[in-house]
Amino acid sequence: MAQTFEPNLIGFLCNWCSYAAADLAGSNKLEVPANLATIRVMCSSRVDPIFILNAYLRGIDGVIIAGCHPGDCHYQTGNYYARRRFALLSKILKTFNLDPHRFRLSWISASEGQRFSQVTKEFAESIQKAGPNPLRKKPFID
Amino acid sequence: MKEKNILVIGAGLAGIEASLLCARAGRKVFLIEKEPYFGGSVIKSEEVFPQMECATCMLAPKQSEVLENKNIELLTLSEVKEIKGEPGNFQVKILKKARYVSLVNCIGCAACFEPCPVSLDNEFEEGLSKRKAIYLACSGALPNVPAIDMKRCLRAKGEDCQACKEACMFDAIIYDDKDEELSVTVGSIIIATGFRLSDPGKFPDLGYKKFKNIFSAFEFERLRASNGPTSGEILTRDGNPPKSIAFIHCVGREEKGYCSQICCLYLTKFAHYALDKIPGVKVYQFYKELSIPGKGSQKFFQEVMKKGINLIRTEKLSISENGAGLRLTYEDNKTVDVDMVVLAPPVEPHPGAKEIAQLLKLEQEQFGFFKTTELNPIESNRPGIFIAGCAQGPNFMQDVILQAQAAAGAALHLTGS
Amino acid sequence: MSRIGLFLCECGPNIAEAIDLDKIAEFINKENKVAGIERHRLLCSEEGKKFLAESIKQNQFDHIVIAACSPKQHESTFMEVLSQAGLNPYLLQLVNIREQCAWMTPDKGLATKKALRLIRAAINRVRFHSKLHEKEIEANPDVVVIGAGMTGIETALSLAQQGRTVYLIDKDKLGGMLKNLKRLFPGMLDPQRLLQEKIAEFNNQTQIKVFEDSQVKEILGFFGNFIVTIINKEKEISLKAGSIVLGIGAQEFVPEGMDQFGYGLKNVYTALQFEKEGLTKIPDESKALAIIHCVGREKLGYCSKFCCVNSMKLAHLIKEKRPDIKVIQFYQELCLPGKEYDKFYRETREKGIEFIRFDKIGVGKNGNQLELKYGSGDGTEKHLNVDIVILATGLIPNPETKDFAQMLNIAVDDYGFFKEEHIKLGPVSTLTDGIFIAGTCQGPKDIKESILQAKAASGRILSALIPGRKLPIEAKASEISDSLCMGCGICVQVCAYGAVSIDERKHISVVNEVLCRGCGNCAASCPSGAASHRHFTNQQLYYEAREILR
Repeated sequence: MAQTFEPNLIGFLCNWCSYAAADLAGSNKLEVPANLATIRVMCSSRVDPIFILNAYLRGIDGVIIAGCHPGDCHYQTGNYYARRRFALLSKILKTFNLDPHRFRLSWISASEGQRFSQVTKEFAESIQKAGPNPLRKKPFID
Repeated sequence: MKEKNILVIGAGLAGIEASLLCARAGRKVFLIEKEPYFGGSVIKSEEVFPQMECATCMLAPKQSEVLENKNIELLTLSEVKEIKGEPGNFQVKILKKARYVSLVNCIGCAACFEPCPVSLDNEFEEGLSKRKAIYLACSGALPNVPAIDMKRCLRAKGEDCQACKEACMFDAIIYDDKDEELSVTVGSIIIATGFRLSDPGKFPDLGYKKFKNIFSAFEFERLRASNGPTSGEILTRDGNPPKSIAFIHCVGREEKGYCSQICCLYLTKFAHYALDKIPGVKVYQFYKELSIPGKGSQKFFQEVMKKGINLIRTEKLSISENGAGLRLTYEDNKTVDVDMVVLAPPVEPHPGAKEIAQLLKLEQEQFGFFKTTELNPIESNRPGIFIAGCAQGPNFMQDVILQAQAAAGAALHLTGS
Repeated sequence: MSRIGLFLCECGPNIAEAIDLDKIAEFINKENKVAGIERHRLLCSEEGKKFLAESIKQNQFDHIVIAACSPKQHESTFMEVLSQAGLNPYLLQLVNIREQCAWMTPDKGLATKKALRLIRAAINRVRFHSKLHEKEIEANPDVVVIGAGMTGIETALSLAQQGRTVYLIDKDKLGGMLKNLKRLFPGMLDPQRLLQEKIAEFNNQTQIKVFEDSQVKEILGFFGNFIVTIINKEKEISLKAGSIVLGIGAQEFVPEGMDQFGYGLKNVYTALQFEKEGLTKIPDESKALAIIHCVGREKLGYCSKFCCVNSMKLAHLIKEKRPDIKVIQFYQELCLPGKEYDKFYRETREKGIEFIRFDKIGVGKNGNQLELKYGSGDGTEKHLNVDIVILATGLIPNPETKDFAQMLNIAVDDYGFFKEEHIKLGPVSTLTDGIFIAGTCQGPKDIKESILQAKAASGRILSALIPGRKLPIEAKASEISDSLCMGCGICVQVCAYGAVSIDERKHISVVNEVLCRGCGNCAASCPSGAASHRHFTNQQLYYEAREILR
């Protein structure tokens, strides 16, 4: 099968900064990869590491979490927790033989529509190059 | 009978905070704003010192609350025309100017901008970019509904241009929209008309407008703004990132006769912007006296200065052109050559303050700010009318918030529970 | 099986032209997961809202998915329509197919595919939405103010004028720092008169109950319902209040051990000591007096911002008493922020006060006099003999600050002052709702600013606690399951608002919904799955994601 690989991407966006940035990117008609589907959470600290593991085990090609810049968190310190969980989780993903570049944490503020577009495009391109999630073909669970 | 409604004039940081507190207490608030958007000077900034927080993100939740709170009636493009009565019962006439775009029908899709044939300097962007005659101050401005600058629309010249109306799919364009006069009765009034920065052209030694790469503070702020004319890239007017920048403190301080308080720290923030955006840029700060009051400020200042900023104290300074760049001469004969100069002009009252002072019979002090009691910066010479924010003098954001909260408390008190 | 209604908004051409809505309807129909699909040109219009409400009623939908614009635009609009149609507003999931799909995806095929993916995810999620209710609790409108300096007095007065009962508590007597001052800059008002006037106002306010010489023993409860136990003359008194204002002040930094400034030598004072005692004891033979600014600033790490102007005030006071004495101000940077102080500075200079900028300075003894050795930037050391030296030192936190911080579980900053909720937007509030900080316990400031903070704190309280009104509670708060929680306390640590605590009796965590602001951090950190974030539950997010992962 010589089909071109189309990565499947998921994003978790915090309500206050990154989700607003994504809206702004749209309002300014800036392109964002169509294969990225996003989920809104109130804070990047809401993202349970289980969601991420589950996503990879189900074959997602890339996960991006985006939150407020350090120090800007609407809930004071939530993004710092997200950062720590991200760091730990990145190590765990390595043990699954997953390229850590498939997992990204970005700080995107509400006024950075341009940045949202740029970051997501870069991310999509890098996953495109990296190829499909090696776990995709052998799902562990249902 | 005491009237419980409250009028807030000016929908910047102070006006928003005061309105929210009054509205949360269950009061009806009329929040009036001269501009077609609200948010005041804060939304012009990219980040706020000392924590370098995103300004839009800070204000956006408060702005949404204003738009969603049913107790607040936000009236943009509006001005006070007449006030009668006494504390507890003021009758106010408000002129609500035509927007020519329906706030109800418009959904903010921006389809009307492109077809408009008129191109004008965008005031919000300090003239660094263009806008159309139908326009939104900047992307993300709220309410997300454009206005037509009817004075400069082709229709004002008698042409039957219908470009925006044809582009609008929601019947939102109303060419025959009329100014409206509203009458409201309120128990108390909060003045939050804010500030502006003086035109640096008033201080001719510094060559503003004469040499092209001299910028005023808000121009520089918009250059760094992600939603600004360069999408946040700091560029000279030639379109290149500068290799060196000089920030000039205390511009016009002597002439004005007061310290504008915020400049030392926002110029420190600017240095941070520059170092962050342009690797290897050389940064100079020319100052007379450093004023970095309060906890947290010194730490921020030192952290930025550590990154290799040249701090130069001088009483005398002049600027001249040097080829494509600029030459700063100080202490008689020392010189520094840079690609860009940024001036921090004095904070002065909003030009609309004078008219409001006359209408409301409020006293202004020698600098034109509203006069307040010595130990109570929110109390004006008229009972029932309170002053909040930079309408009262140069203030840091936290002081603006404090005054707004105090003014809200005073207004709530005056209008009884 | 739930009856899910899917509404597709065309948003005029904004969505309809960028996304093939027919195709979406066709696919969703095939999957048979929704009870009905409706399409409208502009759902947020008056006519659209009416259509939505009627359709919900007619079709008896019990869960709603609306594919339209960003929730930031119209989530609240549509939630209101659901309420009007008799449906709990939280049974809605809004899919953002305008900003985050139609407008950011130029290719119609791809946009349609993405929209379908998002809509499927929302349908999969909305099944697990449950009814949430905006609850309210009873709240006490009275206030306990701790610290009866100018800040506490002003707070009490502004609240009592509004008819609130205020309990004003001080470990000492009324007046605080103000009692030590002779004048207030820049208008040179008499602080003692000001204090007396304020205290006289107390007599007209029966709502203010003053407890002098009282210690705070314990504070229990939360916003709306605090119980403060104080010890007054060996008697325990229990006070009930809805809110607490801390105005416990600060103290002057005394440069003990900083030998270079000669503190401890005769005739070397701190600014406050001089104003309190030294001013009346200037020896007759004195000819010169030096005021050194910024003493200890480097050590403390901040500029106290009032000392420059206060030093000028002292110079005025000295000149008033002894015009013959030469006064010299040694400064590094003059901090004169705001519109009033440049004028005051000019007036000070006009009185013949000298200003010398130093880069280093030392104070020593020279016979009966004091000797200053200083450099002023040109590399040479200069000498000057004076009779009196005043050290302008700034403010540091009171030792009680950390005790109260501990008692109330609120934070202190890097310097030991109470930490505000937000340095710019929340200067008098703390992360714990209902606990306010005002005056110098929050950071160095002058009397005028302390008064302003007092008024701001009262403003916040007058706005939030209204007699006869209940306090609303965040519907999207967290909850912790009794049966799943193992009491590890991780959620207690991650909560920035002190909303989670351990129930010592049951050894499990409990959420105080009054304090919870609904970030969901506890839910993500809970190892046993006991903590749950309402409206963003694990189940809801899991099923939303699962469809995206397909």
